[in-house]
Amino acid sequence: MSKLATAEADRSPSGWKIIWREIVRDKVAFASFLFLGLIIVFVYGISLVLDQKQIVTVDLFSLYKPPSAEFWLGTDYGGRDVFGQLIIGTRNSLSIGIIVTLMTGIIGILIGLLSGYFGGSVDNVFMRFVDFFMILPTLMIVIAFVTAVPKYSIISFSLIMTAFLWMGIARLIRSKALQERELDYIQASRTLGSSHLKIMFTQLLPNLSSIIIVTMTLNLAANIGLESGLSFLGFGFPESTPSLGTLVSYARNPQTLESRWWIWLPASVLILVLMLSINNVGQALKRATDARQRKG
Amino acid sequence: MALLDIKDLKVHFPIRGGLFGRAVGEVKAVDGVSLSIEQGSTYGLVGESGSGKTTTGRAIIGLNAITSGRVMFEGKDLNEGGKRSLLNARRDVQMIFQDPYSSLNPKKRVIDIVAEPLRNFERLSAQEEKRRVRELLEQVGLSAETIYKYPHEFSGGQRQRIGIARAIALKPKLIIADEPVSALDVSVQAQVLNFMQDIQKELNLTYLFISHDLGIIRHMCDHIGIMYKGRHVEQGTTSDIFHNPQHIYTKRLLAAIPDIDPTEREKQRQFRAAVKAEYDQAYRDYFDEEGLAYSLRPISSTHLVALPGKGG
Repeated sequence: MSKLATAEADRSPSGWKIIWREIVRDKVAFASFLFLGLIIVFVYGISLVLDQKQIVTVDLFSLYKPPSAEFWLGTDYGGRDVFGQLIIGTRNSLSIGIIVTLMTGIIGILIGLLSGYFGGSVDNVFMRFVDFFMILPTLMIVIAFVTAVPKYSIISFSLIMTAFLWMGIARLIRSKALQERELDYIQASRTLGSSHLKIMFTQLLPNLSSIIIVTMTLNLAANIGLESGLSFLGFGFPESTPSLGTLVSYARNPQTLESRWWIWLPASVLILVLMLSINNVGQALKRATDARQRKG
Repeated sequence: MALLDIKDLKVHFPIRGGLFGRAVGEVKAVDGVSLSIEQGSTYGLVGESGSGKTTTGRAIIGLNAITSGRVMFEGKDLNEGGKRSLLNARRDVQMIFQDPYSSLNPKKRVIDIVAEPLRNFERLSAQEEKRRVRELLEQVGLSAETIYKYPHEFSGGQRQRIGIARAIALKPKLIIADEPVSALDVSVQAQVLNFMQDIQKELNLTYLFISHDLGIIRHMCDHIGIMYKGRHVEQGTTSDIFHNPQHIYTKRLLAAIPDIDPTEREKQRQFRAAVKAEYDQAYRDYFDEEGLAYSLRPISSTHLVALPGKGG
């Protein structure tokens, strides 16, 4: 038993352990992490029992009710329960953020790895492609798409956003891969008979994992913000599919803004706190990848 | 027949410049190198930084593209037959890298590093693989319990041993050792070198040993080639080179070996000054207008020197 323990102690801490230690050491990041976990469990749990159809159904007998025992956060101009909309809206916003982050991550990693690993003309072709996407007026095109597609769901909305958001991570991975491929262990793998694909995914990718985790986390916050922004402008989800952005957009009505705080304030605060928390965790992750900045 | 036979190997790199990245010139990193190595022997390639010795080694194993010339391994041309033959040759030609820190993937455990060639070329069960890796590690003098450790938990010498274990995993015939000890401190150098000689006898290995350290070359090699600006200036057995150097560059290189006897210090200094004077005076005779060495000519059955002459 004791032998096992010493063997365990001899082993250096793995990447996950370092990340965990860094988060726990940083009180703010740890609180943010717990808060995020709670929100996610809470939101996805409750939205299972809530009936979206019933919540978004207009009820003319209970317009603009302030918070009460029946409607915890009151109702909006259609008599719809704000609390239910908040839960489902947070779920929708989080889902979109996560899906967009994952999809941009996968595309960005693939293109970045290919172009960084091979370099030369492959890199040139991919990077000109990235440049092309970068100069497009993303927001305008997204708005045009959203207007053009008559009926869209979480998936199609995420796809539209993904199409214009993968370039940043592709560039980042490419620049890191360009540095990394010059190291001898990549050359050594060639002489040992490994194929290019094998080297890219089993040798190169693990060495980029820390930077991938950090950027994806920070991207998550940015993507949630972007979705809320689009919905606020009226180019995101319709009111039948609530999101944090649609709730905040009710505040465009001056009367609502002035005297019916319960409609827009909770959603606004939630956006703020969510983004702050994700960023806090992201900063802790960032420190964990650089031994000189670590606190733990 | 020699195990490895190189004929007039050239490796040129384009210099890109201008608006569209056109090739505006070339660096002749290796410019007409010929050598042959017998099975079981050690050939030392010596030269100053930038003389093309490392590029020669990398071209043989396929890490640098060959501009022209032939690399024959066991009578087969490694350039012909496309990727297949190169891949098969990879089994038999392996490389030990200079820097034991960057040549091991920091995210991989020792077992994954040493087993990488086995996974590429041999179908072994997990159990067999573990046994083979343990054997290899014991062969290079590391404890078999280290297989689950990461590279950064080892010292430089130990890491270089892991690199050697990886290189001998496929039982290759030729190992290209690119300055395998220059990143290690002196006490560890001797350890690794002696160990390389031991496994050479044990496995009947052939080494192409690239180094700038003449003491190490003398200790390790049967044959020596001295390179300068991408060309051989002199080639011969170890005693040819050390006891009968013919080219002024070789003489100057040998004069630069430090002597540890302090009573001889003044004599050494004068000797070195004399060699330098000879070098400066004879430089124009031994090198052509571009400062390159002439072609090699035999002066005995084993000894070739790039002597000046019209045939050059």
